[in-house]
Amino acid sequence: MDKKLAVYICTGCGIGDALDVDALSKVATKEYKVPVCKSHPFLCGAEGVELIKQDMEGEGVNTIVIAACSMRVNYDVFNFPNAIVERVNLREQGVWCHPANDEDTQMLAEDSLRMGIVKAQQSSPPEPFQAENLSKTVLVVGGGLAGLTAAAEAARAGYKTVLVEKNPSLGGWVTRLYKQVGLKPPYSELEDVDIAQRVKEVEENPNITVYKGAQIEKISGAPGMFDVQIRQNGNLATERVGSIVLATGAVAYDATRLGHLGFGRYPNVVTGEMFEEMAARGELKRPSDGKEVKSVAFILCAGSRDKEHLPYCSAICCTESLKQALYVKEKDPEATVYIFYKDMRAAGNYEFLYQRVQKEGALFFRGEIAGIEEDGGSMVVEFDDVLVGDRIRTEPIDLVVLATGMVPTTAIGERLVVQADEQGKESEPPADEIIKSNILNLEYRQGPELPTLKYGFADSHFICFPYETRRTGIYAAGSVRAPMDIPSTIKDATGAVLKAIQCIELTAEGSAVHPRVWDLSYPEFFMQRCTQCKRCTVECPFGAINEDEKANPLPNPTRCRRCGTCMGACPERIISFKNYSVPMIGNMVKAIEVPEEDEEKPRIVIFACENDAYPALDMAGINRLTISPWVRIIPVRCLGSMNLIWIADALSKGIDGILLLGCKHGEDYQCHFIKGSELASYRLSKISETLNRLALESDRVRMEQVGIMDYDRIPQIIEDFVSKLEEVGPNPYKGF
Amino acid sequence: MEAKEISLEMKEYLVAAGAQTLDHCMQCGLCSALCPWRMVSGHISEVFYIRKMQRLGQLGLEGFDTEEVLFACTTCGICQLNCPRQVKIIENVRSMRSTTVEAGFVPAPVRSVVGSLHANGNPWSGPREKRMDWQQGVEVPAFSPDTEYLLFVCCTSCYDPRSQRIARSVVDILKKGGVNFGVIGEEESCCGETVRKIGDEELFKKLAESNIKLFKEKGVKKIITTSPHCLYTFKNEYPELGGEFEVIHYTQVVAGLVEEGKLVPNVPLGKKVAYHDPCYLGRHNEIFEAPRTLLKAIPGTELIELSRARERSLCCAGGGGRLWAEVPRGERFGELRVLDAEAKNANILATACPYCVIMLEADCLALDKQEKIKVMEISELLSASMGRES
Ligand SMILES: Cc1cc2nc3c(=O)[nH]c(=O)nc-3n(C[C@H](O)[C@H](O)[C@H](O)COP(=O)(O)OP(=O)(O)OC[C@H]3O[C@@H](n4cnc5c(N)ncnc54)[C@H](O)[C@@H]3O)c2cc1C
Ligand code: SF4
Ligand code: SF4
Ligand code: SF4
Ligand code: SF4
Ligand code: SF4
Repeated sequence: MDKKLAVYICTGCGIGDALDVDALSKVATKEYKVPVCKSHPFLCGAEGVELIKQDMEGEGVNTIVIAACSMRVNYDVFNFPNAIVERVNLREQGVWCHPANDEDTQMLAEDSLRMGIVKAQQSSPPEPFQAENLSKTVLVVGGGLAGLTAAAEAARAGYKTVLVEKNPSLGGWVTRLYKQVGLKPPYSELEDVDIAQRVKEVEENPNITVYKGAQIEKISGAPGMFDVQIRQNGNLATERVGSIVLATGAVAYDATRLGHLGFGRYPNVVTGEMFEEMAARGELKRPSDGKEVKSVAFILCAGSRDKEHLPYCSAICCTESLKQALYVKEKDPEATVYIFYKDMRAAGNYEFLYQRVQKEGALFFRGEIAGIEEDGGSMVVEFDDVLVGDRIRTEPIDLVVLATGMVPTTAIGERLVVQADEQGKESEPPADEIIKSNILNLEYRQGPELPTLKYGFADSHFICFPYETRRTGIYAAGSVRAPMDIPSTIKDATGAVLKAIQCIELTAEGSAVHPRVWDLSYPEFFMQRCTQCKRCTVECPFGAINEDEKANPLPNPTRCRRCGTCMGACPERIISFKNYSVPMIGNMVKAIEVPEEDEEKPRIVIFACENDAYPALDMAGINRLTISPWVRIIPVRCLGSMNLIWIADALSKGIDGILLLGCKHGEDYQCHFIKGSELASYRLSKISETLNRLALESDRVRMEQVGIMDYDRIPQIIEDFVSKLEEVGPNPYKGF
Repeated sequence: MEAKEISLEMKEYLVAAGAQTLDHCMQCGLCSALCPWRMVSGHISEVFYIRKMQRLGQLGLEGFDTEEVLFACTTCGICQLNCPRQVKIIENVRSMRSTTVEAGFVPAPVRSVVGSLHANGNPWSGPREKRMDWQQGVEVPAFSPDTEYLLFVCCTSCYDPRSQRIARSVVDILKKGGVNFGVIGEEESCCGETVRKIGDEELFKKLAESNIKLFKEKGVKKIITTSPHCLYTFKNEYPELGGEFEVIHYTQVVAGLVEEGKLVPNVPLGKKVAYHDPCYLGRHNEIFEAPRTLLKAIPGTELIELSRARERSLCCAGGGGRLWAEVPRGERFGELRVLDAEAKNANILATACPYCVIMLEADCLALDKQEKIKVMEISELLSASMGRES
């Protein structure tokens, strides 16, 4: 495409009052010979936008640099299809956080414009990736409440669905319940289990193909074109689907490991599951001698919230035990119910159920079990009751019920650690853990299942993007994702299937999915120079890149989230996007004017993650905090896309320091691309080598983790770095 | 560690005695935290936690029945008003007390009170014949079937010399306001509010039934009470026993008269008056405005709000039978009220309950603040502002 560049400088929002706009324009017209450069007092107004449109039509302008507000605002206003639009932030990160009519502020604005022009010159418009034979079918794995809900919702929204269930019948865990807790007000009444209607709705729906007694043999491909092999009764069926909902649920924690609570030692100690069956049979009898039970003790958190067993809360066992307590009271109002708990977590609306059970006279005990013993066929519980502040002993009890927790099906299986290869290099980036749970059997270079968090739940961001797993196009829902009750499962499945549908539609448009939904670019590999080093395949947080036998990377653009981590990883720098590449950012760095040492105007490049750090910097401006005038901010898609060469470029140009601002990483990560900031910090640990080669101090490069709400810390973070650089002294490469 | 045995039988006994919401308590502890005992130091504060007392009751464990625990609650009601489970805490306290009181155990300080109630129908060991001594020459109309209101004077204001002044000032203002009222006198018995809180259900019933019978015989339809405690019982506890009357506190009647302009206090008192909401007038009967209307109507007075007022008012410590308890200085929460009034530069601490007057006056004396702060009943201030020497 023949580019015709134009620069528009907005003088509204205080920009015109704080800067010498004529001098700024000269950067465009004189230094970069930009043919069109105009200023306007209200560029985002109808008249300003019209001005640009006229130039596009009249002058053939197709590459537009808008020097005005942050790219995070007015993106809908400055949206010119078929043109390259580059935004230069003169407002939030310019005049709003630097003094007006100041030499340094002017220099900052001019550098920002230089960087914007360079980026615009080197970008080309993305051409969306068009996959062939796209399918718009949703695959649902698991036919429990979550799977049934997902399938029914997808069908309701007009999408064909394939449902695969391991058991010979649908319904999952809920089918084994005697009653379910109320799903509607007053929430304190028990209801008949309504799963049969849900099963019927799914089985009768012509848009849903159900495979029962079936399992996934293999899934290959990528969003929009997953090829699924389903094994059923020894036969293999194949289906092409667009996206996948994982809804294989959870299983109860193995009670045989709860000997300390009497399970396996005494016949009158049973699990909640066993009690549910007893209730369904209508027989609340002591297993030891068949006597009708007159007293029942429920022990909550049996093996949950316990370092030796499941460290987490299973979310339903409190409510579950309250429900079962009502079974006892309904059968015999005179029966005694003891409930031993650590904390009563009747989540959702089930506080109402808790109140009802209290009113029915159940006895509640908070604290720790001290011992469970048999005494003439009955059980006696000793308990350290925090509320009494003493150890207490119960009267003889007929039956003890252990409320065991949930283990997600994804947590069961051999643990695999995915690494580049077995060379045992000492400084590998942190590896992902994948558990071979035999559920999805993905044909992915990075392993057959989803990467998991430490308790075996699929990795996702529980607050910001709960359904997205680390494999694009696969969304987890129900108790496989997190322990949850029936109402939450229904909502969860509805949410996840919506994500699955969005994925199908965005893939058809060639767009990325969350969190870069508008993005049509995708990474391209200049394979002639590839050394088969495997860095990209291993570091891609989303398993987007497969490999052929010769270890050549085989990218799958529809699996890609466009984070650029591969671009940051590639030592040959052969991975690039049409509008984001290693040389492009490198040239932006080179466009910065570096004053001579004696001018005492140090220069710092900030690579700021677009997801959190960049908005935080904007917020600092919105709150009119003052920021050091020495910084030059370059947004990056993710710190994971940071290629070490940029640091070398910057330092060899005489830039005094480089600050990387990225999301929090580690266990409670906030990185929108999960591993990006972690990988950046790992790469940085290797930079000292480069710095030594250049005879530079490693203090010149620093990485900080910032959240979106940390804007108030930003001036200080920068100030601290400036002081450090003052200690270190100016970069000796200045002027070379 | 020796484990304590749970007794479900004991728990059932407590529930049957009236602690019906004992099981509803989820042991959150808000009640203990709000309890005025937390604001003072000392032995009772260390041993009495209403949450724990109810916990022990829930499990029928010994310990709830220790005298300084079981009889500590002043029934101020701040816990009950805020309990997230709407546990009827005071009912639980009263019922738990009743199980020991009915078994014959009565704490020493209130033994004579119970005895006198049996013998004389009042807690003050005063003979029935002297019930009308408070009048001291003041002309007080007798109740007749044509009288609109029965004025029921609290036993305390019948017998306690300090408190008698309250009865006289109430009569004075009612007369000036032209209210059609009269008193019965000797045949009346104590309303029974306090003895019920102490746990003597049987005695309460006896007193209440005799009053109901008397009121009905005399043709009483409407009652004005001088004390908020009588007000509470007549209003909330007599109906169950067949005594349906229209009951009103004198401050409400008088506030009505002031608002209608039928009663005009006109002698300026020139005082800074802090108002202490009595638990039974405020929290228990939700009367917050009438007393304030009256104080504001007195010319030249500045009404001061204490730092805890209205629903959050801090108890004087005199309810629930605690009027007769011996509490060491520095451990009485009434003292905090006096200090609060002092900190707010008040020179009068006004209230509208005979118990509060006794408690706060004693606290004032104990703190040696009687020169700085005078404890007065609202009727006394009003009456003075209408030209009567008290
Ligand atoms: C003992 C117990 C009692 C409960 N009682 C209540 C209650 O009263 N109220 C309440 O709100 N919640 C209750 N819950 C929670 C509720 O059951 C869950 O929230 C809900 O069942 C979760 O549904 P799901 O579809 O995610 O999982 P599930 O119901 O477990 O369904 C998962 C399905 O996937 C299938 N599957 C597993 N692996 C594969 C595979 N590899 N391939 C294909 N299919 C597979 C399973 O066979 C199953 O049908 C209870 C949970 C338990 C453990
Ligand atoms: S839901 Fe209740 S019983 Fe279950 S693990 Fe959580 S706290 Fe324990
Ligand atoms: S690292 Fe990021 S940009 Fe590269 S292939 Fe993976 S998801 Fe796409
Ligand atoms: S990181 Fe670069 S050089 Fe290495 S395998 Fe990937 S594309 Fe090839
Ligand atoms: S506030 Fe209510 S629920 Fe909480 S401990 Fe006290 S009585 Fe129980
Ligand atoms: S009524 Fe008052 S004194 Fe009694 S326990 Fe409650 S807060 Fe404490």
